[in-house]
Formats: sequence, C-alpha cells, structure tokens
Amino acid sequence: MRFQRVSKAVVVGAAMALALSACAPGGSDSSSEASKSTESNGGAEVTNSGLADLGDVTTKDDTIKVTVGAPEFISYNGFTPQTYSTYNSAITDRMFAGFYYMGTDGTIYPNKELGSYEKVSDDPLTIKYTINENAKWSDGTPITVADSVFAWATQNLNLNSGDKDKPLFNSVSTDLGDTVPKGPEGAADGKEFTVTFKDPDPDWQLQTWMLHPAHVVAKKGGLSTDELVQAIRDGDSKKLEKAAKFWNEGWMTKPGTLPDEADVPVSGPYKLESWKAGESVTLTANENYYGTAPATKNLNFRFLADTGMVQALQNKDVDVIAPQPTVDTLAQLEGLGKAVSIQQGDTLTWEHLDFNFAEGNEMNNLELRKAFAMCVPRQEIVDNLVKPLNPEATVMNAREVFPFQDNYQEVVDASYDGRYDQVDIDGAKKILEEQDAVGTEIRIGYSAPNERRTNEVAAIKSSCDKAGFKVKDAGDAKFFAPGGTQERGDYEVALFAWAGSGQITSGQNIYSTGKPQNYGKYSNEAVDEAWTKLATSLDPAVHAEQTKVIEKLLWDDLYGIPLFAHPGLSASGSDIQNVRHTATQSGIVWNAEQWLRAE
Amino acid sequence: MLKFILKRLGSAVGVLFAASLLLYILVINSGDPLGDLRESNAENREYLMQQRIDYMNLEQPWYLRYLTWLGGVGKCFVGSCDLGQNINGVEVSGLLANAASSTLRLVLLATVIAAVLGIAIGVLTAVRQYSGLDYLVTFLTFLFFSLPVFWAAVLLKEYMAIGYNDWLENPQISIGTSILIGVIVGLLLQMLLAGSLKRRGLTFLITAIFVPLLLQYSLWLNFYRYPQMGPAIIVVLTLLLALSATAMSVGLKEKKVLYPALITVVLVLVMYYATFWILKDANAWILVIGAILSVAIPGLIGKFMGGRLSKLASGVAALVGLIGAGLTVLDHIFRAWPGFLDLKGRPIGTIGSSTANLGGGFWDNFLDNATQLLLPTIVLAIISLASYSRYTRSSMLEVQQQDYIRTARSKGLSERTVIFRHAFRNALIPIATIAAFDFAGLIGGAVVTETVFGWKGMGDMFSTGLHAVDPAPVMAFFLVTGTAAILFNLLADIVYALLDPRIRV
Repeated sequence: MRFQRVSKAVVVGAAMALALSACAPGGSDSSSEASKSTESNGGAEVTNSGLADLGDVTTKDDTIKVTVGAPEFISYNGFTPQTYSTYNSAITDRMFAGFYYMGTDGTIYPNKELGSYEKVSDDPLTIKYTINENAKWSDGTPITVADSVFAWATQNLNLNSGDKDKPLFNSVSTDLGDTVPKGPEGAADGKEFTVTFKDPDPDWQLQTWMLHPAHVVAKKGGLSTDELVQAIRDGDSKKLEKAAKFWNEGWMTKPGTLPDEADVPVSGPYKLESWKAGESVTLTANENYYGTAPATKNLNFRFLADTGMVQALQNKDVDVIAPQPTVDTLAQLEGLGKAVSIQQGDTLTWEHLDFNFAEGNEMNNLELRKAFAMCVPRQEIVDNLVKPLNPEATVMNAREVFPFQDNYQEVVDASYDGRYDQVDIDGAKKILEEQDAVGTEIRIGYSAPNERRTNEVAAIKSSCDKAGFKVKDAGDAKFFAPGGTQERGDYEVALFAWAGSGQITSGQNIYSTGKPQNYGKYSNEAVDEAWTKLATSLDPAVHAEQTKVIEKLLWDDLYGIPLFAHPGLSASGSDIQNVRHTATQSGIVWNAEQWLRAE
Repeated sequence: MLKFILKRLGSAVGVLFAASLLLYILVINSGDPLGDLRESNAENREYLMQQRIDYMNLEQPWYLRYLTWLGGVGKCFVGSCDLGQNINGVEVSGLLANAASSTLRLVLLATVIAAVLGIAIGVLTAVRQYSGLDYLVTFLTFLFFSLPVFWAAVLLKEYMAIGYNDWLENPQISIGTSILIGVIVGLLLQMLLAGSLKRRGLTFLITAIFVPLLLQYSLWLNFYRYPQMGPAIIVVLTLLLALSATAMSVGLKEKKVLYPALITVVLVLVMYYATFWILKDANAWILVIGAILSVAIPGLIGKFMGGRLSKLASGVAALVGLIGAGLTVLDHIFRAWPGFLDLKGRPIGTIGSSTANLGGGFWDNFLDNATQLLLPTIVLAIISLASYSRYTRSSMLEVQQQDYIRTARSKGLSERTVIFRHAFRNALIPIATIAAFDFAGLIGGAVVTETVFGWKGMGDMFSTGLHAVDPAPVMAFFLVTGTAAILFNLLADIVYALLDPRIRV
C-alpha cells in the first residue's frame, strides 16, 4: 500500500533528521541557581512610622512591577473630580513632591527634600514655608513660590466665571481661597513664602501648597510665569481662562499616549516614561531629582484585577500586589510560602454601627441603645471576620483614634470603662423588659451586597434576638441612594465605615448637629461645643483633651458602636526590599521610591 | 440579492436604533452614578456631587441625554464621531479603539483555531462514529464544554505558565516520566491512525519506544532552552512532505507533479541561506510578503511544469513552499529563543498582552506577544472548540445518511471524494450560522477571560461602564457589538447562498 510506504518513510526521515542535527547540546550549561530567600531580605531598618533612612542611594537599573488594581491610568493631573482616584494617585503621587507625607500610622512627617515649614504665629495662624534652594522641576526650572501660588489658585473658588459654582479650576479641593484669602505671600521667583489662615485650622499641615508646574500652565495659557502669578493674586479670572482650561483638560490624552514630555515635568523622584493602554504605565527615575535618588530606576504599574494578582505574583509577572483583603486571597498567598512576603495590618478605615436619631425612631431611647450595645457580639465579630485577615486585630473602642496609634490607649482609658466588652444578654433582656420593649424590631441597614456585613448582621441577630430584639437584615443596594433606606430613615441601625484621612477635625462633620455627614441626625450640645473648641484651637494639648471629652460623650450617649479597623493586605516577592504596610489611603506604594530588588 | 441585502440592512438599522434606546434607558437606571460619593467623607462632598451631576448631565431628562448621545453618534455620518466621554473625562472613542483592538487580538486567533480544529475533529469523529476515538473525543469535548472559564484559566496558569516556567529553569524529565509519556502518546496515536490490530500494535510500539528516546535526546541537547533545527532538518522535512504529498495525490511516478515539488525543496534550501540575514532582523511586512511569495512562486512553477496536472502540481508545490517557509521562520524563532529567555526569564506570562519595556529585537517581541497570548487563546479555543466539533459531527452524520451520499458511493467515488466533496460541503451550511454568531459574540469580549488575564478589552469596558452607571462606554460597546451581530448575521446568509446552490436567488 502506498500509504504504508509513506509512513515508513516518515519514520526513517525523522530518525535521519535527528541524527543530522546531532551537533552538540546547545549553549552554555549554566544551571540557574534558585534564588534563596532568607527570612529577612536585607531591607533598611525601620525606626518609626516614617520613611526609613536608606543612606546613600545609587539608582539600580531595574524594573519593579506593581499592581494596585484594575482601573486604567487617567491623567497626569489627578486633581480634578473626574480624574481623582486612589488608582490614579498611586501613580501621580510618585511624580509630585509635597511639603509633608504620612507615615504608616497616619502620622504627619515633613518632607525635608522639598523644603521645610514652621508656624510663626497662632493668631492669625501664619505658616512660613521654605523651598530648598536646589529644588527644581525635572526640566530644570527651579521650584519657586510661583508654583505654590498656582497650587493655591487651583483650590480657589473665588477665581470663577460668574459665580462660585463655576470655578475656573475644576479641582477636588476647593476651600483654600476662603481659608487663606491672600494665598502664599512672597516673591514669585523666590523660595520663601508665608500663608495666613483666616480662622485657626488644626489641619493646616495637610493643605496642599505644591502641585503642578506653574511655568508649564503659564506657557499654555499664553502668559509668563510672573503674569500668571500676578493674575492669580489680582483675582483676574478673565486673564486666567486659557491657563485654567489647560489645567482642566490639557493633560487629558487618549489612553496609551502620554502628553508631550515638555508639558509634564515632575517635582518628585519619578517621571512618566511610557503608557501602554490597558496594560501598564512605566515611571522612570527623574535624573534631575534634587532629593534622595529612588532606589530602583523603573516602576511599572500594571492594571490588573484582583482575580489575577496572586498567580501573577507567583509567576513574577508582578513584584508587588495590593489585592482586596479576603480570606481566600490570604490563604493563596500563604500557600506560596517563602517566595513571597505578606504585609498585613489595620487601615484607617473603620466599621461601625450608627443609631438613627430621627424623630419617632425607637433608637431615640438611650436605654434601648444601651441594651443593643450590650448584646452586639463585638469580640466574636472581630474573631470570626477580621482576625483571619489580620491576626492582630482588636475590637475598636474609639472613633477618632485607631488601635495602632500611640494615643489610643490613653483616649480609651479616659472615655470608656469596658462596659460593652462582654456580651450581656441578661442585662439587655432586663432593660427591654423594664422598657416594655421586648420584640423591638432593629433593622440594620447597609449597602449591599457586602458579604462581611451580611455576616456581621447575622452574628448580631443570633445574639440580640436572644435578648428580645427582633434584628432584621435591611441590607440594600440602594441604601445610600437618593430615596434609599438611609434617606427615608427606614432603619434603626446603619452599618458602614468611614475612611480616616488623618485630619483632626473631620469628625466634626459627623457628630455635630446638622452637619452633612451626621446621617442619624444626632444632636448633643456638649458634643457640638467640644468640637467647636477642638476645631478652633491650634494647641495639640487641647486637641487631645477635647478628643477624650468627645469620645466619652459619644460613649455615654451611644452615638453608635465602633467595631473594628478594616484589615489591609498586600504582598511582594521576597526579593523586593523595603515594602511596608501602611494604614493610610496612599496604599502599599507609599514608599515605592525605596523599593529595591535584592541581589 | 442586492434588494435582499438592502432590505436586511434597513431592518437592521431599525433594530439597532430601538435597542440603543432601550439599552440607554436601562443603563442610566441601573444604579446610582453618585454612589461612591455618597459614602465618601470628603469635606466638599456636596460640591463634588454637583460637579459630577453637571458633568454627566444627570439633571437632564432621559430623552435629552439620549438625544445628546445620539447626536454625537450621528456625527459619524459626517466623519467625526463623538461617542462622548466617560466618567473620568476620557474620550470614549479612544477607549473604544484600544478595547476593540485588544479584544480582536485576543479573540481572532482563538476563534479561527477553534473553528478549524473543531470542524476537523467533528468530521473525524463522524467518519469514525462509535470508535474508541469518537468516545474519547466526545468525553473530552463535553468536559471542555462544561469547564468554567474562570477555573480553566486558573488551572492553565498554574500548570502551563507557573509550572512550565519553573520547569524551564532547569528542564528535567525522568526516565520513568518519559516512558509514561511515550505510552500515552502511543495509545493516542494508534487510536488516531487506526487500521488493523497489527498496524495499531506496531504504531503503539514504535511510538512508545521512539518518544522516550526523543525526549531524553532533546534533554541531552538542552533543546528546551537552546532549541535548534538548522537547514539539514528543514530540507529533510520538506523533502518528506514533497514526497508524501505527491504520493498521496497522484503517486510518485507522476513526474509532472514530483519535479515541481522537488524544485521547491531546493528553492527552500536556497532561500534559507539567501534570506538568513533578512530574517535575522525581520519585521511583520517581510514575513507577510515572504509568506505570499513562498506560496506564489512554487505555485507558478507547478503551473508551468504541471501540464495537464497543472492545478494539482501547483497545489502540491505551494504547500511544500509554505511549509518550507514556515520551518525557516521556526528556525529563526529557535535561534532567538535563548536571547529571549535572557530578556524574559519566565517566558509564559499570566497577565497582559505584552511585557512592558522588554527591549530586544523583532523576534523577541514576536515571542513575547506569542507567549503572552498563549494561555488566553488556549482557554477560549478549547471551550468553543467543543461546540464546533459537536455541531460538525452531528451535521456530518445527518448528511451521511442522505440518499445522494449513497448514490455517490455506489457510483464508485473514492471515500475521500464522498466525504469532502459531497458530505462535508453540505454539512458546513449549519456551521456557517454558528461560526458567524460565535464570532459576533466574541467581539463583545470575553469578560471573564479578559478579567482573569488582565486584558482591557470590550468586555471590560462594558462592565466598568455599567458599574459606574456611565452610559457612554456602555453605548459604545453596544454600537460595536450590535453592529457586528447584525453584519455577521447578514454575512451568514450570504455564505449560505455560496455554500448551498439551492438557495441562490
């Protein structure tokens, strides 16, 4: 048969081909040595919650790849309401130096590389900022007061086209025009300026006085830098229109194309190098950086959803990942053994149960609130739902300070005597009977779907129903939507979380009468007064004192029940040094300029 | 025919229009576009909400918002599409271009592979109905068909990416494993080649001995890190192909076919040396032109030398030319592999379509794209392959029972002619519809595959837009997928007419 002959020929041919190619084993026989990871990978020693001291740094020609989530990079200007997101900031924060940064526990540290600042007067609050002599943009232009004036302009609603609802600069931050009416004062091309606040602002350190390059915006607006500064100081909105338009839109480009390099100078350790749409953005070391050089030359930010992160880390497609903390993800990471380091800890976001004080709501009765607080199994919730992710998690007994902060114990000791630490079903039952309120329905509302919160409600239900409450899971996708459960007030207890920003006064919006975030319509004159005292004082001692007062009042009055700080999770290849967990919203990339691959 | 097409197009536009209105209303009512801000504790929350309301025109009634969007799309007819901006202020047209190209790259290859392989498997199993091969393939296709994409992707990453990359650090196959692989390959091969018991036994024996030896030999060569082929093997393989192709078509005695094929083999060898430096640093155009020439020139030779068998001769020669060129390219890929491994120590990636800032030359980037594309292509192909093979099988079985097939057989036509010319062509008609729909559906993106492999394609654009209650990207997605569905539907009708003379009008 013809076919048989052919198949024989194929076999013979294949053998012949092998024989012909029998030259020699290819290439050098370099057996790759598996990198041996030790427990400590030789990173810099950490002494406080701020950046570690790396000593003299020579930038290593290497790329470290990191992913913080799936959303694509949007813009060099991440300061407009459209572009502002933690994902965009993870990238842009590497490019811009500010006068301060936050340590891993939310402590504020001055950024000495850009300059320094000091308070020169309490009344009126006046701060003197000094920019380092050698600080310059990556295109060589010195960083001057003009840049600070411009940063002030972008946060100034008084520069507008018509009225305050139509500001020239479409910015996420809008209050500096009113709180610091004159803006930074000092010669535009100088290195020193002072700012004078109209009212005392305990959070003055957190204001942004350095943002984007004024000289680029001026050029695009058809002005010289001096003219720009003059127009801002004169409040000449008309003259600034073109410059503002550029700031609002000029840096928006098609995904995958970066703006012209001349238009995007940076003040920080990294600058934009390339952007592959849908895949990644690469930052490269700013060779004109005046401070400590970054440890690694290139940082590559991958846009990757959680589902792919762990395996990508395992396959070394990325070096550092920041997935949503879930028990499954953690288990997968732990399964990788010594190949990865896992960073766990608390974050500045905290979960709490808030009562509804609206008129007619059962929760207006303090005794019922007490009974409910007695039966909420806080320790059990933390043990079952949070500890698997963060073994060091504890029940949170404060609202304005977090368990990982130094002053936590002091505040808790002064404000809370531990009366709700243990579940007291009998006590709660007794109160309910006294109040003739057995069978009171407690609708616990939250923004669904949220598995953890569903489990929390289930735990509360199984405990509080024993005491005589009738707990109902009122989780709803539209809990916070207009016309939703929260707005209608159809709930007794709301379960949600606040994200802490490190500000001292942000709680005023939550606990004072009539404030926008006081969802439960709580009102207590003593609390209002304490907040006013705190917010108008610049003395840390007063802040500490009033915080204790407020916490005690909120415990006695049972504004709500704090539960726990949300756990955070990230992981890195064990060969990457200096990756450190932070509680702040900057996320794992907060010290990316210090990351270094061990040899 | 023209009237028919125009009529179909007209109704298609109507359907698109109505569907877009419906979808728009559904999207803007699918959630709360201010949801994330409502739970924010930013001090200027109210201001930020107002900004977004103004920006997204949330205060306008739905019909005005829809008309604004429609107006922007309408500008496409004057050549300046305005698909609006997404919630982040990014132009949707730019997003769409990136998403569409990403999805096409991901899906195109997978669909073609799935269709070709699936149909081939379907025909094979139909011809060998109720054989061991048929049962095995049926089992496997049902297995693949019921695989959850997500799970399959994770498994593939675990074994084919991470496992392979780990193995490649220092490739080792133990003697035991080699023998086991040999036995399995032998079993499969005898099943595939079939024949008498003696022949099956012989096939199994030869394979079971040959494969382990081959594996150990390749390890000794360090083939997996330093693969090599060289001109000798290319020539031997093309020569074998030329001989067997001639033998299978007309028999080796027919010089009119044999000579063009042999001349092509010589040409392949000549071209191997002639193009060596060009291919060493090639680009996509060189490859495309080379591929065309490698078919065209041998084809012409066959045409002129073939005489009365010119059609056959040029076919055989072109095949030999193409395979020879393919092997030459493969040789260059082999040569580039060690250098590529230096750039990218773990070649098979689990995420994305390319490695950022890889550097290297054309072949390095070629290999990078190929290794990145490998896993998602396998996942997508393996799953749609199952349905193709099942449809083809049943369609083939049905056709084979028709009277005209019996007639064809009784005429004394060879089995090959009966199957390919008479049965297969008719069996393809229903497959055309499935393929058209399948492809239109795939352009919509494989949301899960895209997410798992970290591609930002159409599916991702759709789901991100929907999550943010952001109509512009969702509508852009709809425009593309809706149009594709309608166009491919139309195309399927036209292909029907081409395949089936009975419905030609």
